[in-house]
Amino acid sequence: MSPLAIIFTIIGIPSLVLLIYILIRGSTGLRRYILTRIGLTLPMVFILGSLVFFIMHILPGDPVSSALGPKGTPEMVERIRENLGLNKPLIAQYGDFLKNMITLDFGNSLVGGHRPIIDEMSERFPATLELVIPASILALFIGVIGGTYAAARRKTARDYSLRLYSVIIYSLPIFWFGLMLQLLFGVVLKWLPISGRIDPVIGTSLEHVTNLYFIDALISGNWSALASVIIHLVLPTFTLGLILSGVFVRMTRINVIETLQADYIAAARARGIREHIVVYRHALKNAMIPVITLIGLQVAILLAGAVLTETIFSWPGMGSYLVLRISSRDYTAVQSVITMFALLVAVISLAVDIIYSLLDPRVRY
Amino acid sequence: MFKKSMYIIMGSLVIISMLLTACGTKTAENQIIIGVTDQIASLDPADAYSTHDWELIRNTGRTLLRWNPGTGDLVADMATGMPVISDDGLTYTFTMKDDIKFADGLKLTAPMFAGQLNRLLTIGPSCPNDVADTLAIPYVESITAPDDTTIVFQLKSAVAYFPQLVATAPYTPAHPDTFLASECVLFPTAPFYGVGSWFVSQFTQNEQLVLEPNKHYTGDLKPQADKIIIRYFSDPQTMALAVQNGEIDVAWRFLGPQLITELESTDGLTVGTVDGGAIRFLVFNHDMPPMDDPNVLKAIASSVDRDAISDSVYSGTVNPLYSPNPPGFMGATEVFDTMYQAPNLEAAKAFLADSGYDETNKCVLDLWYPPEHYGAETSAWMEIIKQQLEATGVFTVNLTAQEWSTYVPALTGGNSYQGGVLGWFFDYPDASNYLDPFVYNGGMGTDVALAADGSTFGVAINDKAQLLLDLLSAADVETDMAKREALYVQAQEVYADLVVTLPLFFQAEHITYRSNIRGSSDFGSPETLNIGGNVEFTYSMLTKEP
Repeated sequence: MSPLAIIFTIIGIPSLVLLIYILIRGSTGLRRYILTRIGLTLPMVFILGSLVFFIMHILPGDPVSSALGPKGTPEMVERIRENLGLNKPLIAQYGDFLKNMITLDFGNSLVGGHRPIIDEMSERFPATLELVIPASILALFIGVIGGTYAAARRKTARDYSLRLYSVIIYSLPIFWFGLMLQLLFGVVLKWLPISGRIDPVIGTSLEHVTNLYFIDALISGNWSALASVIIHLVLPTFTLGLILSGVFVRMTRINVIETLQADYIAAARARGIREHIVVYRHALKNAMIPVITLIGLQVAILLAGAVLTETIFSWPGMGSYLVLRISSRDYTAVQSVITMFALLVAVISLAVDIIYSLLDPRVRY
Repeated sequence: MFKKSMYIIMGSLVIISMLLTACGTKTAENQIIIGVTDQIASLDPADAYSTHDWELIRNTGRTLLRWNPGTGDLVADMATGMPVISDDGLTYTFTMKDDIKFADGLKLTAPMFAGQLNRLLTIGPSCPNDVADTLAIPYVESITAPDDTTIVFQLKSAVAYFPQLVATAPYTPAHPDTFLASECVLFPTAPFYGVGSWFVSQFTQNEQLVLEPNKHYTGDLKPQADKIIIRYFSDPQTMALAVQNGEIDVAWRFLGPQLITELESTDGLTVGTVDGGAIRFLVFNHDMPPMDDPNVLKAIASSVDRDAISDSVYSGTVNPLYSPNPPGFMGATEVFDTMYQAPNLEAAKAFLADSGYDETNKCVLDLWYPPEHYGAETSAWMEIIKQQLEATGVFTVNLTAQEWSTYVPALTGGNSYQGGVLGWFFDYPDASNYLDPFVYNGGMGTDVALAADGSTFGVAINDKAQLLLDLLSAADVETDMAKREALYVQAQEVYADLVVTLPLFFQAEHITYRSNIRGSSDFGSPETLNIGGNVEFTYSMLTKEP
């Protein structure tokens, strides 16, 4: 069983069970909404995949000539094109692409070792997941705590500082910020590693099961590997997480400020409830609902940020794979990765909407 | 209360991070980590055709002959000595040592080896990277093993550089249980074994490849380290930082000129410079006006100042090149310098005047280049060449950038562009590999000899081109090395006179390593970790001091 299949089994089966439960037990409106969203997701992925297919094929350049360079004779180029199906008419290639997309058989890469793309994604997807999950948690943690703290101290120096932080951090170029962290904590202070997912020497002792190194180290009880995985995660996670935290700080702050002006908050204060309980227990809970919606919207930005972060930190995930394959005109791989990203964004947006409706029963679709 | 909690959280985080840092990094005593930005495309000797893949195959395998580390000297490796060559130059007979074993203990016999080499001839052309069609099928008719230690190559035609070919990675024995006779196996599952100093014990795609010593290795390149780990980077900048902070011990290919300059001034690091065989040059289509006029080509050769390119674009990290055959290769001369003494604008104007060009009737050149493939600096030095040509007052140059995959077939196909930029790196370190491809049968778009179906040489466009074909084809089969060298010296004269291509510069390779890493003083070039002009990196040479 491939690591990708293991991850989908772990995440997918419980999600599917939950979805079926909601469809059976949920309200008619919610049920209709979920089914409509699922129905819309499929054409969205289809349209996106088709757009990428035609754009990649319209762009000048041939992956086979690019890979072979001046040493490739016309006969060699033609034979390889034939083997890869690139000499078929465009419409026939599009047909193959659609068929493959439906069966999730993405075909083989057009360059390098011509490996099955599903194998390459299976190796790389866990790395991306291992990066974006802690980065999202960090962004959310800083965003919610910082935003609430700023809202509770509105128009003080601390509030202004946090607002300034959120604007500056969000506008920093991610590659520059990553490089600065690498230089400071890696090269100057020598506290943290600046590349890869695990120390190369310790990595030789890690058994790969899910390709999520954190999980693999945990289930095999390999504590030195676990420590190495964690310290290798620090810089990429902070690079991506801090950049994204800016928007969460602003969003949380605004919502908490609005909530703090509600009547029930005034009532709570009047009853003599301590301020931090009013803010963190009563106001924050309600202010979080729009923030959850924002999480869904940020997934696409998170994945785009992962592309740059992975390249800077030589993190072997889907983002660095996408960059590599775009540069070599590998149509099949680029289409597959973008289709995968589109699916991911659609599924997470759907999940967020469902959570939103569960958190706030007033929401009707 | 809140402040107290924050202090506790912050304090805990600091302690946890210190503990993690302490147990999450492991200082390996004698394990050497080499960083590269290359990607593996294939590890099958019957298929692999990239520098990094070959490097791995050569470190995990052996060939009948090999180059001694740090030098270009060809010596016997699996063979007991140099081959016996038949009088007609068509049969090469090697006697193999009888103690060659794969790392899993399997003994290599000549029939087994012949079987693997025949696999190169049979399935090689259907493999994705198709090295066979370049380095085996054009030369080899058959490979047989009359007994357990004798291996006989029957060639299609006499080739003086066949010993060099036999020393390349495709002629490495592959393990018969891993590399099956009927299919290409590009990415075998680790562990997998060769007969070389090392075997691949672990391989994680895109991350790292681990090599451990072959206990059955009996050659003279025994591993000095306990383990070699090749670490793959997606970004050269990150690799440069990794060698600076000690995450890797050696940073190998590729670090750009700017990064190399930075690393040269970093304490605790040594940057070794290998005068490698990567060259850059201008290709002209001799069958397309105005490049069909010898005077125009000579005027171009008289105008281009290579030192200006090296100094202003590369800060002196590349070397001017005055022959298609780089220094260190058989018969290499500086013929373009002695013949044209560029920049010599007066001579350029005189050549152009002979063809009726002057300030009022300018010669218009269309030159093409790929903006990224040979580095972002290409645009800058092409602009310098344009300025140098236009400084004659008689040339008008139109520069056009074209995306690599469109550019290559258009340039080398010989029908689309007047001229353009090309780079070259040898397949086997021999002068023939720098001269023949640009002359024979279309010559990568030079059309000095027009392409003809089924012909090796093509049809020469004039008497000088025919003389060049004759000289090169004679050098191809000449086994007397002194005579062969003389033929190449003469061929370069004709080549420069025709200006088949215009050599510009050759690029050095750089290896950056930490102060506790050493090469072997028993072989050449320990300062570059025993990497010589043929850019072969032999990992067995490496040692790491505590």
